[in-house]
Amino acid sequence: MSLTKLEVSKMSCDLSRRSFLKGLGGVVGTSSAAAILSGNAVSVALAFEPIKGGTEKGALFNKQQMMMLKAICATIIPATETPGAADVDTQGFIDNQLFHCYTGSLQNEVFQLLINIDSEAKAMFDVDFVELSDKEQLELLEQVEIGSNTLLLNNRDKFKFLKSLVCFGYYTSEAGASQELRYLAIPGGYKGSVPYSKGDSGWGSMGLKY
Amino acid sequence: MITPNYITESSEVFDAIVIGSGVTGGWAAKEFCEKGFKTLMIERGRIVEHRKDYIGENQPPWNQQFRTNVDNLLVQEQYPIQQQCYAFTDATKHFFGNDRDLPYATPDDKPFSWIRANQLGGKSLLWHRQSYRISDFDFEANKLDGYGNDWPIRYKDIKDWYSYVETHVGISGQRENLPELPDSEFLPPFEMNSPEKMIKQKLESAFPDRHLIMGRAAHLTQPTQLHISQGRVQCQARNECQAGCSFGAYFSTQSSTLPAAAKTGNLHIAANSVVHSLIYDEQTNRVIGVRVIDNDNLKQREYFGKIIFLCASTLGSTQILLNSQSKKYPSGLANSSGVLGHYLMDHNYNANAGGEIDGFEDEIDQGRRPCGILVPNFNVQPDPKRPFLRGYMLGGGAHRETWKNMQRSEGLGIDFKNRMGKPGKWKFGFYAMGEMLPRFDNQVKLHSTLKDKWGIPQLDIHCEYSENEKLMMEDAKEQMMAMLKVAGLKNVTGRVNHRPPGIAIHEVGTARMGKDPKTSVVNKYNQAHDIPNLFVTDGASFCSTPPQNPSLTFMALTARAVEYASKEYAERRL
Repeated sequence: MSLTKLEVSKMSCDLSRRSFLKGLGGVVGTSSAAAILSGNAVSVALAFEPIKGGTEKGALFNKQQMMMLKAICATIIPATETPGAADVDTQGFIDNQLFHCYTGSLQNEVFQLLINIDSEAKAMFDVDFVELSDKEQLELLEQVEIGSNTLLLNNRDKFKFLKSLVCFGYYTSEAGASQELRYLAIPGGYKGSVPYSKGDSGWGSMGLKY
Repeated sequence: MITPNYITESSEVFDAIVIGSGVTGGWAAKEFCEKGFKTLMIERGRIVEHRKDYIGENQPPWNQQFRTNVDNLLVQEQYPIQQQCYAFTDATKHFFGNDRDLPYATPDDKPFSWIRANQLGGKSLLWHRQSYRISDFDFEANKLDGYGNDWPIRYKDIKDWYSYVETHVGISGQRENLPELPDSEFLPPFEMNSPEKMIKQKLESAFPDRHLIMGRAAHLTQPTQLHISQGRVQCQARNECQAGCSFGAYFSTQSSTLPAAAKTGNLHIAANSVVHSLIYDEQTNRVIGVRVIDNDNLKQREYFGKIIFLCASTLGSTQILLNSQSKKYPSGLANSSGVLGHYLMDHNYNANAGGEIDGFEDEIDQGRRPCGILVPNFNVQPDPKRPFLRGYMLGGGAHRETWKNMQRSEGLGIDFKNRMGKPGKWKFGFYAMGEMLPRFDNQVKLHSTLKDKWGIPQLDIHCEYSENEKLMMEDAKEQMMAMLKVAGLKNVTGRVNHRPPGIAIHEVGTARMGKDPKTSVVNKYNQAHDIPNLFVTDGASFCSTPPQNPSLTFMALTARAVEYASKEYAERRL
C-alpha cells in the first residue's frame, strides 16, 4: 500500500468516524440517563474483540504488515504456560489502538519501523522478516532494540514505542491481565503488606487507567 | 432510597433554592430539607442516579472500548481541556463537561484549565476525596503577611461544624494531634505499606518538625450504623471511584447527602436547568427567584424562592452573580464592593520527586488504596528567611513496579515476559500541593462579546501563578529530594512542571468573605453583605487557599450557613 492510498483511506475513515461521533454527541446531549446508557452500549459493542488466529487485515495495516506485527508480538511476548501476545491478537489490538487513540505521525512511526525491520531482514538474511525462523526473528529484533548499526539506531525509539503498545495490548487483554497476572476486580480492602514469594505473578488489576 | 421529586415547570415559591448539586449543593439541600424547608435544588446537567448510572463501573480493561484510553478524535473535539485531568478515562468521561459546549476565554499567554462536571452530583462524583481541616495558621495567614483580606472566621468558629459534617460523611484517618492539621472525627485509617513506614520513621527522625501521616479520605473504612442505614458499605479498595461507586463507599451527593435530603420529602430537583441569572427585587432588596435556560431545548423558565444559596462551584457561582445585573448592581449582583470576580486562586501541583527503595522484596501490598500518604505543611510559621510566603503539603505513596513501569526496559522473549509478569522494585513518589497567594489581578469577568449556546456571556479568565508560587515549587522539589535521600532512597530525581492554574481543580475565591462590606462579597456566615437572603457557600467565598484540599471546608461552611440562615429566617430578617 502506498502512503498516498493509505492517507486517502485514513481520511475517509476519519470522516465516517466524525459523523459517528456527532451522532453519539447528540445522544449524550439529551436529558435522560437511559440515553447515556445506550450511548455506552454502543461503545461496548465497539470494544476491540480479539480474533482467533489473529486479525488478518486491520484498519491501518494491510495483510502483510499484520503478519509482521503478529510475528513481532510473538517474539516480544511469546507463549509459555500462558498465552503469548500474538495468541490474544495483540497485533489486531495495536492496529485498533493506533487508529483510534494515536496521531497520524505516531502511526507513521510504526509503518516506518516495519519497513526498516524488513529491510534489515533482507540485508541480514536475504528474506522478508516473516520468512525468518523464530530464533532469527528474535536475533534481529534484539539488534533493532539496541540499535546495532547506523540505520537501526534511528529505529530504537520507534521500537520502544511499539514494544510499549505490545505490552499494553497484552497485559490489558483478558488472558494477560487475569492469567499471566493476578486480576482482583474487588479486592475487598487494602492490605499494606502481604507475603510475596519469588515467582508470584504481579497484579493485573490497576484501576481506571492502564 | 426515596426518589426525590423531579420537577420542570413550577410556580411554587420554595422556602429555599440551592443552585448546584455537588459537594456544597448537596449539603445545603440536606440541611434545609432536614430543617423542614421545602427545598428546590437546581442542576444544570442531567440526572445521574446512584448505581444505575455508573455505566463505567467495574469494567475490566478488556471490556472497555479502547482499554481505558479515550478516542483521539473525541478528545480533540470535545474534551481537550477535560482530558488534562488525571481521572479522565473511558470509564469516567461521561461525568466530565463537554468542552465544545462549555467555552470560556483566556488570554493566549495565560491559559487556565477549567474542569467541569455538569450533572447531578457534580464534582462530588469525581473528586479525590482527600479531607482536611483548615487550622488557625491558615486562617491567620492573610492577616500576617498582608496578601488578601483577613478571614472573618477562625478555627473555633468552624470546629464543631467540621465534626458535624465528618460524622455524616465518614472520614478515614489517624489521630495525630498536629496543630497545623487538626484531627477530624475519624474512621480507621488506611494502612501504610512497609516502605512507607520505613520512610516515615527515617524522615521524622531527620526532620523533627515534619510528619509523614496516612492521608485522610472520605472513604468508609469501617461504616457506622448511620452510614449503613444510608445504604453505604465498606470501601472495597478498587480505587475506581470516579466511575461511580455502587457500594457508596466514598462520599458523593448520590451516596450521602441526596438520600438524606430525599428522605425528608422536602427535596425537589430541577435538572437540565442552566441558571442564567438571579431575579432581584429592588423594592425589597431581596433575590426572589432564578431564571434558567433549559439545557436541551434552550427555553427559558423561572423558579421562585425565599432564600437562595449559590453552590454552583467557585466560578459557576460567580458567573451567575456577574450575569445578574440590575440598575442597583450594574456590575453584578451583590457587588457593591467591586471585588466580585477578583482574587481567584487554585493550588499549585507543579513539583514532584521520586526514588527507588532497596529491599522489602518478600512482600507486596494488596488492593488498590484510594488514598496516599501526606506530609502536612511544615512552613506554617512565617519566616523572613524563606524565599517565598505560605507553604505546601506533600502527597505520595510507595508501590512495587509493574509492567507499566518496566515495559521500556531492554529485553525480548521469555525472559522479558517473566520479568514483566512479576512485581519489580519498590518505588516511592512525592508530589507537592502548594498554596497560591490571593491577588486582585487574578480574576474572572464576563466576556464582552462571546456567549455560550444558552446565550450566557462566557467567563473571561485571567489567572496566573506569580513568582512566589514558582519559588515555592522549586523549594518543594529540593525538600522532597532531600527527604527521600535521608530516607535512603536510590536514584532520587525531582522536577518542577509549569502547568497552568485550574488543573489542581481547587479553584477558590472570586466572591470572598470578609468583615468589611467594602472589600468583600459575603460576611462570615457566607451571606451577601448587600442582599440578606442571598448566600454563597462554595469555594468562591474563600479568602485564601491553604494547601489543604478544600472540599471538607465547603461542607462545614455550608452546614453552618444553613443553620444561620434558618435562624435569621425564623427571626424574619431574611
